[in-house]
Amino acid sequence: MFEKLVEVIGNYVEVEGKDIHPESRFMEDLGFTSFDFMSMLGELEDELDIEIDQQEAANIRTVGEATAYLEKLKG
Amino acid sequence: MMYSTIREMLVTTEAKYGDGDAVRYKVGKDKIETKTYTQLKQDSERFSNLLKALGEKGNHIAMVGMSSYPWIVSYLGTVNSGSVAVPLDVALPAEELCELVDRADATVLVLDEMRADVMAVVKERCPKLKHLISMQKEVSDENIVSFWQAVNEQPFEFECEIEPDKLCTIMFTSGTTGKSKGVMLTQRNLAENATCLDMKIPERSVILSVLPIHHAYCLSMDILKGISLGSVICLNDSLIRVAKNIKLFQPNIILMVPLMIETMAKKLEEAAGLPPEIVKREVFGEQFHTIYSGGAYLNPDYIDLFAKYGVSVLQGYGMTECAPVISATVSWNIKKDSVGQLLPNCEAKVVDNELWVRGSSVMMGYYQMPDKTEEALKDGWLLTGDLGYVDEEGFIYLTGRKKNLIITKNGENVSPEELENKIGSERIVQEILVREKNSVIEAEIFPDMEYAEKTGVCDIKAVLQQLIDTYNQGAPSYKKIYSLIVRETEFEKTPSKKIKRY
Repeated sequence: MFEKLVEVIGNYVEVEGKDIHPESRFMEDLGFTSFDFMSMLGELEDELDIEIDQQEAANIRTVGEATAYLEKLKG
Repeated sequence: MMYSTIREMLVTTEAKYGDGDAVRYKVGKDKIETKTYTQLKQDSERFSNLLKALGEKGNHIAMVGMSSYPWIVSYLGTVNSGSVAVPLDVALPAEELCELVDRADATVLVLDEMRADVMAVVKERCPKLKHLISMQKEVSDENIVSFWQAVNEQPFEFECEIEPDKLCTIMFTSGTTGKSKGVMLTQRNLAENATCLDMKIPERSVILSVLPIHHAYCLSMDILKGISLGSVICLNDSLIRVAKNIKLFQPNIILMVPLMIETMAKKLEEAAGLPPEIVKREVFGEQFHTIYSGGAYLNPDYIDLFAKYGVSVLQGYGMTECAPVISATVSWNIKKDSVGQLLPNCEAKVVDNELWVRGSSVMMGYYQMPDKTEEALKDGWLLTGDLGYVDEEGFIYLTGRKKNLIITKNGENVSPEELENKIGSERIVQEILVREKNSVIEAEIFPDMEYAEKTGVCDIKAVLQQLIDTYNQGAPSYKKIYSLIVRETEFEKTPSKKIKRY
Protein backbone atom coordinates (compact mmCIF):
# COMPACT_ATOMS: atom_id res chain seq x y z
CA MET A 1 0.00 0.00 0.00
CA PHE A 2 2.88 2.37 0.84
CA GLU A 3 4.32 1.96 -2.68
CA LYS A 4 0.91 2.59 -4.23
CA LEU A 5 0.54 5.73 -2.19
CA VAL A 6 4.00 6.99 -3.18
CA GLU A 7 3.04 6.50 -6.83
CA VAL A 8 -0.18 8.52 -6.47
CA ILE A 9 1.51 11.26 -4.41
CA GLY A 10 3.71 11.87 -7.46
CA ASN A 11 0.61 13.01 -9.38
CA TYR A 12 0.13 15.93 -7.00
CA VAL A 13 3.55 17.15 -5.87
CA GLU A 14 7.01 17.17 -7.34
CA VAL A 15 8.75 15.01 -4.74
CA GLU A 16 10.86 12.00 -5.67
CA GLY A 17 9.72 8.62 -4.38
CA LYS A 18 12.94 8.14 -2.41
CA ASP A 19 12.16 11.29 -0.42
CA ILE A 20 8.75 10.06 0.70
CA HIS A 21 8.77 8.22 4.04
CA PRO A 22 6.05 6.93 6.38
CA GLU A 23 6.69 9.88 8.69
CA SER A 24 6.48 12.46 5.87
CA ARG A 25 3.65 14.91 6.55
CA PHE A 26 1.46 15.65 3.53
CA MET A 27 1.14 19.39 4.00
CA GLU A 28 4.26 20.44 5.85
CA ASP A 29 6.82 18.11 4.24
CA LEU A 30 5.37 17.19 0.85
CA GLY A 31 3.67 20.49 0.01
CA PHE A 32 0.12 19.21 -0.39
CA THR A 33 -2.80 21.62 -0.13
CA SER A 34 -5.88 20.36 1.69
CA PHE A 35 -7.72 20.01 -1.62
CA ASP A 36 -4.80 18.14 -3.23
CA PHE A 37 -5.09 15.69 -0.36
CA MET A 38 -8.85 15.26 -0.77
CA SER A 39 -8.48 14.78 -4.53
CA MET A 40 -5.77 12.17 -4.02
CA LEU A 41 -8.09 10.25 -1.70
CA GLY A 42 -10.77 10.38 -4.39
CA GLU A 43 -8.32 8.86 -6.86
CA LEU A 44 -7.43 6.13 -4.37
CA GLU A 45 -11.12 5.41 -3.71
CA ASP A 46 -11.49 4.49 -7.38
CA GLU A 47 -8.25 2.57 -7.70
CA LEU A 48 -8.71 0.55 -4.52
CA ASP A 49 -12.51 0.29 -4.71
CA ILE A 50 -13.04 1.58 -1.19
CA GLU A 51 -15.16 4.33 0.38
CA ILE A 52 -13.37 7.01 2.38
CA ASP A 53 -15.03 9.11 5.06
CA GLN A 54 -14.09 12.78 4.63
CA GLN A 55 -14.17 13.50 8.36
CA GLU A 56 -12.00 10.52 9.26
CA ALA A 57 -9.59 11.40 6.49
CA ALA A 58 -9.24 14.95 7.82
CA ASN A 59 -7.28 13.58 10.80
CA ILE A 60 -4.60 11.96 8.63
CA ARG A 61 -1.32 13.88 8.65
CA THR A 62 1.43 11.50 7.54
CA VAL A 63 2.00 9.01 4.73
CA GLY A 64 2.27 6.25 7.35
CA GLU A 65 -1.13 7.17 8.84
CA ALA A 66 -2.66 7.21 5.36
CA THR A 67 -1.14 3.79 4.58
CA ALA A 68 -2.58 2.30 7.77
CA TYR A 69 -6.00 3.87 7.15
CA LEU A 70 -6.17 2.60 3.56
CA GLU A 71 -5.01 -0.87 4.59
CA LYS A 72 -7.74 -0.98 7.24
CA LEU A 73 -10.40 -0.03 4.66
CA LYS A 74 -9.10 -2.52 2.15
CA GLY A 75 -9.29 -5.19 4.86
CA MET B 1 -34.12 39.99 -14.39
CA MET B 2 -33.41 41.59 -11.02
CA TYR B 3 -35.36 40.45 -7.97
CA SER B 4 -35.61 42.10 -4.57
CA THR B 5 -36.83 39.09 -2.60
CA ILE B 6 -35.85 35.46 -2.62
CA ARG B 7 -39.49 34.40 -2.76
CA GLU B 8 -40.05 36.34 -6.02
CA MET B 9 -37.14 34.42 -7.51
CA LEU B 10 -38.47 31.00 -6.60
CA VAL B 11 -42.09 31.77 -7.54
CA THR B 12 -41.10 33.13 -10.97
CA THR B 13 -38.78 30.23 -11.78
CA GLU B 14 -41.33 27.66 -10.60
CA ALA B 15 -43.97 29.21 -12.85
CA LYS B 16 -41.57 28.94 -15.78
CA TYR B 17 -39.81 25.62 -15.15
CA GLY B 18 -42.03 23.83 -12.62
CA ASP B 19 -41.46 20.33 -14.03
CA GLY B 20 -37.76 20.93 -14.69
CA ASP B 21 -35.09 19.56 -12.37
CA ALA B 22 -34.06 22.02 -9.67
CA VAL B 23 -31.78 19.93 -7.46
CA ARG B 24 -29.87 16.74 -8.19
CA TYR B 25 -28.02 14.81 -5.50
CA LYS B 26 -26.51 11.40 -4.93
CA VAL B 27 -28.16 8.61 -3.04
CA GLY B 28 -25.72 5.77 -2.54
CA LYS B 29 -22.64 5.51 -4.69
CA ASP B 30 -23.70 6.55 -8.19
CA LYS B 31 -27.48 6.91 -8.14
CA ILE B 32 -28.88 10.40 -8.70
CA GLU B 33 -32.16 11.58 -7.21
CA THR B 34 -33.82 14.76 -8.48
CA LYS B 35 -36.34 17.31 -7.27
CA THR B 36 -38.20 19.62 -9.61
CA TYR B 37 -38.82 23.33 -9.10
CA THR B 38 -42.44 22.58 -8.19
CA GLN B 39 -41.29 20.10 -5.54
CA LEU B 40 -38.72 22.58 -4.22
CA LYS B 41 -41.32 25.33 -3.92
CA GLN B 42 -43.88 23.03 -2.33
CA ASP B 43 -41.42 21.48 0.14
CA SER B 44 -40.10 24.89 1.17
CA GLU B 45 -43.67 26.13 1.68
CA ARG B 46 -44.38 23.05 3.78
CA PHE B 47 -41.35 23.98 5.87
CA SER B 48 -42.73 27.54 6.22
CA ASN B 49 -46.00 26.02 7.43
CA LEU B 50 -44.07 23.83 9.86
CA LEU B 51 -42.43 26.92 11.38
CA LYS B 52 -45.87 28.50 11.70
CA ALA B 53 -47.30 25.36 13.30
CA LEU B 54 -44.43 25.28 15.78
CA GLY B 55 -45.08 28.93 16.62
CA GLU B 56 -41.65 29.88 15.31
CA LYS B 57 -42.53 31.90 12.20
CA GLY B 58 -40.53 35.12 12.26
CA ASN B 59 -37.92 33.71 14.63
CA HIS B 60 -34.30 32.76 14.04
CA ILE B 61 -33.79 29.31 12.54
CA ALA B 62 -30.27 27.86 12.52
CA MET B 63 -29.17 25.17 10.07
CA VAL B 64 -26.12 22.95 10.30
CA GLY B 65 -25.29 20.41 7.64
CA MET B 66 -23.53 19.54 4.41
CA SER B 67 -25.14 20.69 1.15
CA SER B 68 -28.35 18.74 0.89
CA TYR B 69 -31.92 19.04 -0.36
CA PRO B 70 -33.34 19.34 3.20
CA TRP B 71 -30.82 22.14 3.89
CA ILE B 72 -32.00 24.11 0.83
CA VAL B 73 -35.67 23.48 1.69
CA SER B 74 -35.07 24.67 5.27
CA TYR B 75 -33.29 27.81 4.09
CA LEU B 76 -35.96 28.77 1.52
CA GLY B 77 -38.81 27.83 3.86
CA THR B 78 -37.29 30.04 6.54
CA VAL B 79 -36.56 33.18 4.52
CA ASN B 80 -39.79 32.87 2.49
CA SER B 81 -41.86 32.89 5.67
CA GLY B 82 -40.39 36.14 6.97
CA SER B 83 -38.17 34.24 9.40
CA VAL B 84 -34.40 34.62 9.75
CA ALA B 85 -32.03 31.85 8.60
CA VAL B 86 -28.75 31.31 10.43
CA PRO B 87 -26.53 29.01 8.31
CA LEU B 88 -23.64 27.65 10.40
CA ASP B 89 -20.43 25.81 9.53
CA VAL B 90 -20.96 22.06 9.93
CA ALA B 91 -17.23 21.58 10.58
CA LEU B 92 -17.08 23.70 13.74
CA PRO B 93 -16.49 22.01 17.11
CA ALA B 94 -19.72 21.32 19.06
CA GLU B 95 -18.93 23.94 21.68
CA GLU B 96 -18.47 26.68 19.09
CA LEU B 97 -21.63 25.69 17.20
CA CYS B 98 -23.65 25.81 20.42
CA GLU B 99 -22.21 29.24 21.20
CA LEU B 100 -23.25 30.56 17.77
CA VAL B 101 -26.74 29.02 17.98
CA ASP B 102 -27.13 30.78 21.31
CA ARG B 103 -25.62 34.11 20.20
CA ALA B 104 -27.87 34.14 17.13
CA ASP B 105 -30.93 33.69 19.41
CA ALA B 106 -32.03 30.70 17.36
CA THR B 107 -35.20 28.99 18.58
CA VAL B 108 -35.05 26.17 16.02
CA LEU B 109 -32.04 24.18 14.85
CA VAL B 110 -32.18 22.04 11.71
CA LEU B 111 -29.33 19.59 12.03
CA ASP B 112 -27.59 16.92 9.98
CA GLU B 113 -27.27 13.70 12.00
CA MET B 114 -23.57 13.58 11.17
CA ARG B 115 -23.34 16.05 14.07
CA ALA B 116 -24.80 13.71 16.66
CA ASP B 117 -22.34 15.28 19.13
CA VAL B 118 -24.13 18.62 18.75
CA MET B 119 -27.54 16.99 18.92
CA ALA B 120 -26.65 15.48 22.29
CA VAL B 121 -25.75 18.75 24.00
CA VAL B 122 -27.30 21.67 22.12
CA LYS B 123 -30.59 21.91 24.02
CA GLU B 124 -28.79 21.98 27.33
CA ARG B 125 -26.25 24.57 26.14
CA CYS B 126 -28.75 26.82 24.35
CA PRO B 127 -31.67 27.67 26.65
CA LYS B 128 -33.46 29.74 23.96
CA LEU B 129 -33.55 26.77 21.58
CA LYS B 130 -37.02 25.20 21.55
CA HIS B 131 -37.01 22.74 18.65
CA LEU B 132 -34.41 20.42 17.21
CA ILE B 133 -35.14 19.10 13.71
CA SER B 134 -33.12 16.19 12.34
CA MET B 135 -32.62 16.10 8.57
CA GLN B 136 -32.40 12.27 8.55
CA LYS B 137 -34.42 10.92 11.48
CA GLU B 138 -37.45 9.04 10.14
CA VAL B 139 -39.84 9.36 13.07
CA SER B 140 -40.18 12.25 15.50
CA ASP B 141 -39.90 11.67 19.23
CA GLU B 142 -40.36 13.95 22.22
CA ASN B 143 -36.93 15.54 21.82
CA ILE B 144 -36.22 15.56 18.11
CA VAL B 145 -38.50 16.37 15.19
CA SER B 146 -38.08 14.32 12.02
CA PHE B 147 -37.64 16.77 9.12
CA TRP B 148 -39.49 14.70 6.52
CA GLN B 149 -42.22 13.45 8.83
CA ALA B 150 -43.01 16.97 10.02
CA VAL B 151 -42.69 18.61 6.58
CA ASN B 152 -44.89 16.01 4.87
CA GLU B 153 -47.67 16.59 7.40
CA GLN B 154 -47.94 20.26 6.33
CA PRO B 155 -49.96 21.74 3.45
CA PHE B 156 -47.84 23.07 0.57
CA GLU B 157 -49.42 26.45 0.05
CA PHE B 158 -47.94 29.33 2.02
CA GLU B 159 -48.67 32.96 1.32
CA CYS B 160 -46.62 35.63 2.99
CA GLU B 161 -45.83 39.24 2.25
CA ILE B 162 -42.06 39.56 2.21
CA GLU B 163 -40.48 42.92 2.95
CA PRO B 164 -37.29 43.36 0.89
CA ASP B 165 -35.50 45.39 3.55
CA LYS B 166 -36.16 43.08 6.47
CA LEU B 167 -33.46 40.90 7.99
CA CYS B 168 -33.54 37.41 6.45
CA THR B 169 -30.14 35.79 7.05
CA ILE B 170 -27.38 36.00 9.66
CA MET B 171 -24.03 34.62 8.49
CA PHE B 172 -21.10 34.34 10.86
CA THR B 173 -17.71 35.50 9.74
CA SER B 174 -14.39 35.60 11.55
CA GLY B 175 -13.30 38.99 12.80
CA THR B 176 -10.01 40.41 13.94
CA THR B 177 -11.24 40.50 17.52
CA GLY B 178 -11.25 36.72 17.57
CA LYS B 179 -15.01 36.60 18.12
CA SER B 180 -16.96 35.76 15.00
CA LYS B 181 -19.48 38.36 13.89
CA GLY B 182 -23.02 37.72 12.67
CA VAL B 183 -23.46 39.57 9.37
CA MET B 184 -27.11 40.67 9.03
CA LEU B 185 -28.38 40.48 5.45
CA THR B 186 -31.77 41.48 4.11
CA GLN B 187 -33.82 39.90 1.35
CA ARG B 188 -32.77 42.75 -0.94
CA ASN B 189 -29.07 42.36 -0.04
CA LEU B 190 -29.07 38.73 -1.16
CA ALA B 191 -31.61 38.78 -3.98
CA GLU B 192 -30.19 41.83 -5.75
CA ASN B 193 -26.62 40.60 -5.28
CA ALA B 194 -27.50 37.34 -6.99
CA THR B 195 -29.50 38.87 -9.83
CA CYS B 196 -28.43 42.46 -10.57
CA LEU B 197 -25.76 41.45 -13.09
CA ASP B 198 -26.77 39.65 -16.25
CA MET B 199 -23.78 37.39 -16.78
CA LYS B 200 -25.35 35.87 -19.90
CA ILE B 201 -25.45 32.46 -18.25
CA PRO B 202 -27.94 30.40 -20.25
CA GLU B 203 -31.06 29.47 -18.28
CA ARG B 204 -31.27 25.80 -17.25
CA SER B 205 -27.46 25.53 -17.09
CA VAL B 206 -26.21 22.66 -14.93
CA ILE B 207 -24.22 23.87 -11.91
CA LEU B 208 -22.19 21.58 -9.65
CA SER B 209 -22.11 23.07 -6.16
CA VAL B 210 -18.88 22.07 -4.42
CA LEU B 211 -18.39 24.82 -1.82
CA PRO B 212 -19.71 24.71 1.77
CA ILE B 213 -23.34 25.83 1.64
CA HIS B 214 -23.12 28.04 4.73
CA HIS B 215 -20.71 30.32 2.84
CA ALA B 216 -22.23 33.46 1.37
CA TYR B 217 -20.50 32.82 -1.97
CA CYS B 218 -22.05 29.37 -2.35
CA LEU B 219 -25.46 30.34 -1.00
CA SER B 220 -25.75 33.45 -3.14
CA MET B 221 -24.13 32.32 -6.39
CA ASP B 222 -24.79 28.56 -6.54
CA ILE B 223 -28.16 28.40 -4.88
CA LEU B 224 -29.87 31.80 -5.25
CA LYS B 225 -28.45 32.78 -8.63
CA GLY B 226 -29.00 29.18 -9.72
CA ILE B 227 -32.68 29.37 -8.78
CA SER B 228 -33.11 32.75 -10.48
CA LEU B 229 -31.81 31.23 -13.74
CA GLY B 230 -33.84 28.04 -13.43
CA SER B 231 -30.57 26.13 -13.23
CA VAL B 232 -30.13 22.49 -12.33
CA ILE B 233 -28.21 22.62 -9.05
CA CYS B 234 -26.19 19.44 -8.44
CA LEU B 235 -24.89 18.82 -4.94
CA ASN B 236 -21.39 17.47 -4.44
CA ASP B 237 -21.38 14.96 -1.57
CA SER B 238 -17.72 15.17 -0.55
CA LEU B 239 -14.60 17.14 -1.41
CA ILE B 240 -12.96 13.76 -1.95
CA ARG B 241 -15.24 13.11 -4.92
CA VAL B 242 -15.25 16.38 -6.89
CA ALA B 243 -13.52 14.81 -9.93
CA LYS B 244 -15.85 11.81 -9.86
CA ASN B 245 -18.95 13.96 -9.42
CA ILE B 246 -17.99 16.16 -12.36
CA LYS B 247 -18.18 13.01 -14.51
CA LEU B 248 -21.42 11.91 -12.88
CA PHE B 249 -23.38 15.20 -12.99
CA GLN B 250 -21.77 16.63 -16.17
CA PRO B 251 -22.05 20.30 -15.19
CA ASN B 252 -21.60 23.34 -17.41
CA ILE B 253 -20.43 25.55 -14.56
CA ILE B 254 -18.69 25.22 -11.19
CA LEU B 255 -17.94 27.89 -8.59
CA MET B 256 -14.58 27.24 -6.99
CA VAL B 257 -12.07 28.75 -4.62
CA PRO B 258 -8.48 29.16 -5.89
CA LEU B 259 -7.25 26.15 -3.91
CA MET B 260 -9.50 23.87 -5.97
CA ILE B 261 -8.54 25.54 -9.23
CA GLU B 262 -4.85 24.93 -8.45
CA THR B 263 -5.47 21.22 -7.88
CA MET B 264 -7.54 20.95 -11.07
CA ALA B 265 -4.66 22.66 -12.90
CA LYS B 266 -2.31 19.92 -11.69
CA LYS B 267 -4.64 17.30 -13.13
CA LEU B 268 -4.69 19.12 -16.47
CA GLU B 269 -0.92 19.49 -16.56
CA GLU B 270 -0.46 15.83 -15.71
CA ALA B 271 -2.00 15.02 -19.07
CA ALA B 272 -0.26 17.86 -20.91
CA GLY B 273 1.09 15.55 -23.64
CA LEU B 274 -2.42 14.73 -24.91
CA PRO B 275 -4.51 16.96 -27.20
CA PRO B 276 -6.29 19.63 -25.05
CA GLU B 277 -9.77 18.64 -26.27
CA ILE B 278 -9.22 15.06 -25.07
CA VAL B 279 -7.91 16.24 -21.70
CA LYS B 280 -10.89 18.56 -21.30
CA ARG B 281 -13.31 15.78 -22.19
CA GLU B 282 -11.71 13.41 -19.67
CA VAL B 283 -11.48 15.88 -16.79
CA PHE B 284 -14.58 18.06 -17.23
CA GLY B 285 -16.66 16.60 -20.05
CA GLU B 286 -17.47 18.28 -23.36
CA GLN B 287 -20.41 20.23 -21.92
CA PHE B 288 -18.30 22.12 -19.37
CA HIS B 289 -17.36 25.73 -20.05
CA THR B 290 -16.90 28.01 -17.01
CA ILE B 291 -15.32 28.16 -13.56
CA TYR B 292 -16.22 31.15 -11.40
CA SER B 293 -13.45 31.84 -8.89
CA GLY B 294 -13.99 33.68 -5.65
CA GLY B 295 -13.28 33.62 -1.95
CA ALA B 296 -9.58 34.43 -2.29
CA TYR B 297 -7.06 35.77 -4.79
CA LEU B 298 -6.36 33.66 -7.87
CA ASN B 299 -3.08 33.89 -9.74
CA PRO B 300 -4.10 35.10 -13.26
CA ASP B 301 -1.74 32.52 -14.85
CA TYR B 302 -4.40 29.91 -14.18
CA ILE B 303 -6.81 31.81 -16.43
CA ASP B 304 -4.46 31.23 -19.40
CA LEU B 305 -3.85 27.62 -18.46
CA PHE B 306 -7.55 26.74 -18.38
CA ALA B 307 -8.21 28.72 -21.57
CA LYS B 308 -5.93 26.26 -23.39
CA TYR B 309 -8.47 23.57 -22.55
CA GLY B 310 -11.47 25.65 -23.57
CA VAL B 311 -12.51 26.51 -20.01
CA SER B 312 -13.11 30.13 -18.95
CA VAL B 313 -12.03 31.08 -15.45
CA LEU B 314 -13.81 34.24 -14.33
CA GLN B 315 -12.59 35.89 -11.16
CA GLY B 316 -14.74 37.81 -8.71
CA TYR B 317 -14.34 39.52 -5.37
CA GLY B 318 -16.54 40.03 -2.38
CA MET B 319 -17.16 39.60 1.30
CA THR B 320 -20.03 38.26 3.39
CA GLU B 321 -20.79 41.84 4.50
CA CYS B 322 -21.71 42.61 0.87
CA ALA B 323 -23.94 39.55 0.36
CA PRO B 324 -21.18 38.74 -0.91
CA VAL B 325 -20.20 39.78 -4.47
CA ILE B 326 -18.67 43.23 -4.97
CA SER B 327 -17.14 42.70 -8.41
CA ALA B 328 -17.34 40.00 -11.04
CA THR B 329 -15.74 39.22 -14.37
CA VAL B 330 -17.91 38.62 -17.38
CA SER B 331 -16.65 36.57 -20.30
CA TRP B 332 -16.88 39.41 -22.84
CA ASN B 333 -14.90 41.97 -20.82
CA ILE B 334 -11.88 40.53 -19.03
CA LYS B 335 -8.96 42.33 -17.40
CA LYS B 336 -6.83 39.53 -16.08
CA ASP B 337 -5.09 41.37 -13.25
CA SER B 338 -8.32 42.75 -11.90
CA VAL B 339 -10.83 40.94 -9.67
CA GLY B 340 -13.66 42.03 -11.92
CA GLN B 341 -15.94 44.96 -12.49
CA LEU B 342 -18.19 46.46 -9.82
CA LEU B 343 -21.68 44.99 -9.77
CA PRO B 344 -24.36 47.38 -11.11
CA ASN B 345 -25.81 47.74 -7.59
CA CYS B 346 -22.48 48.73 -6.08
CA GLU B 347 -20.31 51.86 -6.10
CA ALA B 348 -16.80 52.17 -4.73
CA LYS B 349 -14.33 54.78 -3.55
CA VAL B 350 -10.82 54.61 -2.16
CA VAL B 351 -10.04 56.22 1.18
CA ASP B 352 -6.42 56.10 2.38
CA ASN B 353 -5.82 53.26 -0.11
CA GLU B 354 -8.67 51.27 1.43
CA LEU B 355 -11.60 50.24 -0.74
CA TRP B 356 -15.03 51.43 0.48
CA VAL B 357 -18.22 50.17 -1.20
CA ARG B 358 -21.86 51.20 -1.06
CA GLY B 359 -25.03 49.77 -2.57
CA SER B 360 -28.07 47.57 -2.11
CA SER B 361 -26.02 44.55 -1.05
CA VAL B 362 -24.24 46.16 1.88
CA MET B 363 -25.28 44.50 5.15
CA MET B 364 -27.49 46.01 7.83
CA GLY B 365 -24.68 45.52 10.37
CA TYR B 366 -23.33 42.90 12.77
CA TYR B 367 -25.87 41.13 14.95
CA GLN B 368 -25.83 42.61 18.45
CA MET B 369 -22.46 44.24 17.90
CA PRO B 370 -23.17 47.97 17.46
CA ASP B 371 -19.54 48.94 18.06
CA LYS B 372 -18.29 46.59 15.35
CA THR B 373 -21.03 47.81 13.01
CA GLU B 374 -19.95 51.39 13.58
CA GLU B 375 -16.36 50.47 12.75
CA ALA B 376 -17.38 48.72 9.51
CA LEU B 377 -20.02 51.11 8.16
CA LYS B 378 -19.58 54.86 7.66
CA ASP B 379 -22.56 56.75 6.20
CA GLY B 380 -23.67 53.66 4.31
CA TRP B 381 -20.16 52.86 3.03
CA LEU B 382 -18.71 49.47 3.89
CA LEU B 383 -15.02 49.61 4.80
CA THR B 384 -13.72 46.47 3.16
CA GLY B 385 -10.34 46.33 4.90
CA ASP B 386 -8.83 45.62 1.48
CA LEU B 387 -6.27 47.87 -0.11
CA GLY B 388 -6.72 48.55 -3.78
CA TYR B 389 -8.02 50.83 -6.48
CA VAL B 390 -10.75 51.10 -9.10
CA ASP B 391 -10.13 52.05 -12.73
CA GLU B 392 -12.32 54.31 -14.88
CA GLU B 393 -14.40 51.32 -16.08
CA GLY B 394 -15.12 50.15 -12.54
CA PHE B 395 -12.61 47.28 -12.52
CA ILE B 396 -11.18 46.58 -9.07
CA TYR B 397 -7.51 45.84 -8.40
CA LEU B 398 -6.47 44.59 -4.96
CA THR B 399 -3.06 45.26 -3.51
CA GLY B 400 -3.27 43.81 -0.01
CA ARG B 401 -5.16 43.33 3.24
CA LYS B 402 -5.52 46.04 5.78
CA LYS B 403 -6.44 43.79 8.62
CA ASN B 404 -4.56 40.84 10.04
CA LEU B 405 -7.24 38.42 9.01
CA ILE B 406 -5.84 35.33 7.34
CA ILE B 407 -7.72 34.42 4.18
CA THR B 408 -6.78 30.85 3.36
CA LYS B 409 -6.61 29.71 -0.24
CA ASN B 410 -9.98 28.04 0.03
CA GLY B 411 -11.52 31.32 1.06
CA GLU B 412 -11.97 30.58 4.75
CA ASN B 413 -11.36 33.46 7.11
CA VAL B 414 -9.24 32.74 10.14
CA SER B 415 -8.67 35.24 12.86
CA PRO B 416 -5.09 34.82 14.14
CA GLU B 417 -6.08 36.39 17.45
CA GLU B 418 -8.64 33.67 18.04
CA LEU B 419 -5.99 30.93 17.74
CA GLU B 420 -3.46 32.97 19.68
CA ASN B 421 -5.92 33.39 22.54
CA LYS B 422 -6.71 29.67 22.65
CA ILE B 423 -3.13 28.41 22.65
CA GLY B 424 -1.68 31.41 24.51
CA SER B 425 -3.75 30.59 27.57
CA GLU B 426 -1.47 27.58 28.23
CA ARG B 427 1.01 28.28 31.01
CA ILE B 428 4.07 27.24 29.00
CA VAL B 429 3.28 29.73 26.23
CA GLN B 430 4.62 33.15 27.05
CA GLU B 431 4.04 34.78 23.67
CA ILE B 432 2.49 33.52 20.46
CA LEU B 433 1.99 34.83 16.96
CA VAL B 434 -0.19 33.07 14.39
CA ARG B 435 0.11 33.84 10.69
CA GLU B 436 -0.18 32.33 7.24
CA LYS B 437 2.96 31.02 5.60
CA ASN B 438 3.18 29.12 2.32
CA SER B 439 -0.59 28.59 2.36
CA VAL B 440 -0.69 26.97 5.81
CA ILE B 441 -1.22 28.42 9.25
CA GLU B 442 1.94 28.75 11.29
CA ALA B 443 2.37 29.45 14.99
CA GLU B 444 5.52 31.01 16.39
CA ILE B 445 5.85 30.61 20.14
CA PHE B 446 8.19 32.08 22.72
CA PRO B 447 7.93 29.63 25.62
CA ASP B 448 7.99 30.49 29.31
CA MET B 449 11.49 29.14 29.99
CA GLU B 450 11.29 29.65 33.73
CA TYR B 451 8.06 27.65 33.95
CA ALA B 452 9.56 24.90 31.79
CA GLU B 453 12.57 24.67 34.08
CA LYS B 454 10.47 24.63 37.26
CA THR B 455 8.23 21.89 35.97
CA GLY B 456 11.12 19.81 34.65
CA VAL B 457 10.25 20.11 30.96
CA CYS B 458 13.33 19.11 28.94
CA ASP B 459 11.98 18.93 25.40
CA ILE B 460 10.05 22.19 25.12
CA LYS B 461 9.42 21.79 21.39
CA ALA B 462 7.79 18.38 21.95
CA VAL B 463 5.53 19.79 24.67
CA LEU B 464 4.51 22.71 22.47
CA GLN B 465 3.89 20.40 19.50
CA GLN B 466 1.68 18.28 21.78
CA LEU B 467 -0.26 21.43 22.68
CA ILE B 468 -0.74 22.25 19.00
CA ASP B 469 -1.78 18.65 18.23
CA THR B 470 -4.39 18.76 21.00
CA TYR B 471 -5.72 22.07 19.69
CA ASN B 472 -5.78 20.69 16.10
CA GLN B 473 -7.89 17.71 17.13
CA GLY B 474 -10.83 19.95 17.97
CA ALA B 475 -10.33 22.49 15.19
CA PRO B 476 -11.90 22.51 11.70
CA SER B 477 -9.31 21.77 9.01
CA TYR B 478 -8.96 25.38 7.88
CA LYS B 479 -8.08 26.46 11.43
CA LYS B 480 -5.51 23.75 12.02
CA ILE B 481 -1.91 24.82 12.67
CA TYR B 482 0.51 22.99 10.41
CA SER B 483 3.80 24.59 11.31
CA LEU B 484 5.43 25.43 14.64
CA ILE B 485 8.43 27.66 15.25
CA VAL B 486 9.89 27.92 18.74
CA ARG B 487 11.66 31.23 19.49
CA GLU B 488 14.55 31.71 21.85
CA THR B 489 13.94 35.42 22.28
CA GLU B 490 10.90 37.58 22.91
CA PHE B 491 9.04 39.10 19.97
CA GLU B 492 9.71 42.66 18.97
CA LYS B 493 6.96 44.90 20.38
CA THR B 494 5.13 48.05 19.36
CA PRO B 495 5.23 51.06 21.74
CA SER B 496 1.94 49.85 23.22
CA LYS B 497 3.63 46.50 23.99
CA LYS B 498 1.79 44.56 21.33
CA ILE B 499 3.72 42.03 19.27
CA LYS B 500 4.74 43.50 15.92
CA ARG B 501 3.01 41.36 13.33
CA TYR B 502 5.04 42.28 10.31
